[in-house]
Amino acid sequence: MAKKEPVIEVRNLYKIYRIGQNKVRALNGVDMTIYRGEFCSIVGTSGSGKSTMLNMLAGLEKPTKGTIKIAGKQIEKLSENQLVKFRREKVGFIFQSFNLLGTMNAVENVALPLSFRGVPKRVRLKKASAMLDLVGLKTQKKHRPNQMSGGQQQRVGVARALVVDPEIIFADEPTGNLDSHTSAEVMELMRKVVMEQNKTLVMVTHDNHLATFADRIFHIIDGKIVKVEERDHRDAKISEAATVEELLQRSARENVEDTIEEEDPEIAESDDAVMEEKEEKMEEEV
Amino acid sequence: MWIAMRISDLLRMSASNLWRRKMRTILTVLGVVIGTASIIVMVSIGIGQNRSLMAAIEESGSLTAIQVYYWGSSGNTDELMLNDSMLEEFAAMEHVKSVTPTLRFSVVMKQGAYINTYASINGVTQDVLDKIPLAEGRLPDKDADSLEFVVGSMVARDFYNEKTQKSYWETQVMPDIDFVNQPIFTVFDRDAYWNAQNGQGDPPKKYLLQASGMTTGGEGDYNEYCWEIYCHIDALKATLKKIFRNKPIPGQPTQKNGKPYAEFCYENVIVDVDKMENIAEILQTIQDIGFQAYSNAEYIQSMQQQSKTTQMVLGGIGAVSLFVAAIGIANTMMMSIYERTKEIGVLKVLGCAMGNIRTLFLMEAAFIGFIGGLVGIMLSYGISALINKFAGNLMGNYYYMGADSSISYIPLWLVLAALGFAVMIGIISGFIPALRAMKLSPLAAIRNE
Repeated sequence: MAKKEPVIEVRNLYKIYRIGQNKVRALNGVDMTIYRGEFCSIVGTSGSGKSTMLNMLAGLEKPTKGTIKIAGKQIEKLSENQLVKFRREKVGFIFQSFNLLGTMNAVENVALPLSFRGVPKRVRLKKASAMLDLVGLKTQKKHRPNQMSGGQQQRVGVARALVVDPEIIFADEPTGNLDSHTSAEVMELMRKVVMEQNKTLVMVTHDNHLATFADRIFHIIDGKIVKVEERDHRDAKISEAATVEELLQRSARENVEDTIEEEDPEIAESDDAVMEEKEEKMEEEV
Repeated sequence: MWIAMRISDLLRMSASNLWRRKMRTILTVLGVVIGTASIIVMVSIGIGQNRSLMAAIEESGSLTAIQVYYWGSSGNTDELMLNDSMLEEFAAMEHVKSVTPTLRFSVVMKQGAYINTYASINGVTQDVLDKIPLAEGRLPDKDADSLEFVVGSMVARDFYNEKTQKSYWETQVMPDIDFVNQPIFTVFDRDAYWNAQNGQGDPPKKYLLQASGMTTGGEGDYNEYCWEIYCHIDALKATLKKIFRNKPIPGQPTQKNGKPYAEFCYENVIVDVDKMENIAEILQTIQDIGFQAYSNAEYIQSMQQQSKTTQMVLGGIGAVSLFVAAIGIANTMMMSIYERTKEIGVLKVLGCAMGNIRTLFLMEAAFIGFIGGLVGIMLSYGISALINKFAGNLMGNYYYMGADSSISYIPLWLVLAALGFAVMIGIISGFIPALRAMKLSPLAAIRNE
């Protein structure tokens, strides 16, 4: 297996925020290596430094000290313009709150990053359309974000991250705004796509269970990586192949505590309600 | 190159962003509409005024003409004279296009009961005669046996009734004189006429003359030629020479020995200059020789200067409202950027070049200016038409009302300049917001509120 080609190498990474008189060490000497084709998750509680870690890797924030080498390039020294260029060419990004543009429909949203590269409209819409097929949104291509459920929107988000054919995909709590059932669906989709397309995926989450979808799990506490877990998904895939429903139910059950504790139940409920409403609407339309 | 997006995509994105906030866009555009319209209308009024002024000036006489006079000063009659040799000197000057002399001679004219003891006959060149509009008859023939002339439509007013001694100005009744069909008794030697009237000497010889034509215009209609009698200058010279033989001709300077000069001395000469800019120079030269010279140019230039000042003041008033509109654009763009902080962050995370983000916002601001400018132009055409229709009647008599005169006139350059100005205002006022958008942190996209 060509698994041992490192695509992200982080050495001795520090990020120190100054809040008034105090220094907060968000990252306190992190070393990590992520290989091509891997699905890694960085898991930690709120304030553990996991989000800071992701921002550093995606070039959204500059480290205080240390080196980040991505696809053979040291990114901590790049200017903002160069970082934008780096993201445009090498990185796909999946957001927690989807961040689709409300003025555009699904295909246009997926095609958006290609427009930043100057790809002609016809070409990029074709590519975007193929990506939407891949994430299972054949019939919602012309829908605007407000006509889609959260799960559907995040599928569009995944398609948008994939369409630029990136070296690495970063996902920031990709299922944080989704209910447990949809979360599992989206996670499976991400897994599947990453495997098929041999992409490297780095996901940040606070949810231990969601983290287990990854091949490797970095546990981060107080800005330090305390544990790296390796998981073999071969058996999981077998069980998934057997009964998807069962798997989903299991993950839903396991998730109940986390979700309700961490999230505002009202929001979760209303989210559900909205989604059901949407689904009803769509059925009517069909 | 880091500018990666296509112009068409940038245009589409900025247009759809404006479209998303229709109401706000419309209100901001409205500000520009009013600003543009007020500038155009104000300036168009200034231009209309200027055009009316120019039309009036052109109607009243040439813009490039210098009037040269010589009121035979008593002291040195020997040297300075507006005669043919002096005319040649004028004509030889640089920038002088043509020199047109007028020989004025006063006579006594009488027909029936009406008499004018001080009627002026103007001997002019054929060029001038050709310009005189005729109501009846024909232009004088310079080779005719007796002197022929054209009579202005108002000339009869200067005649008075010899018996009642009442003139038109007292009676308001136009003297009944038929210049064209009836002979006019004309006395060329006015001195002898008066002497005879006072019982000294023989009455001078009377000539029976007849006008060849009348100028256009009825009673009360004014034009350039209506007060004067015109004949061909050569015919007048020949007639005078024949009548006075070797005697000095009245009104003409004489030599020290009392003999007349060989050449006629003109009272008035019009020197036509090629361009208005050269008038001052020629004017000065002629005055330096010792003649009185006068031109419309100075007056016209001061009027134009005044009209330009008016235009600038009016334009300034309009500019104030466009300035207010610019503030409106800047405000709208600022608001829009605060609102879209997250969206801008997303664009940056997804790899939209910083320059593209700046361009995107500049385009939005320019769009506002452009649309506002376009609508403003249409509005100003409407306002201009209304002004010309209604206000025209109020001011009509004040300004010259020619075919192309209007109170508000919008030339093409004004339209283009206004549009360009509106777009420029948009870009300028969008500049700081666009820079701010460009510098926003991409982290805003990650934050979840």
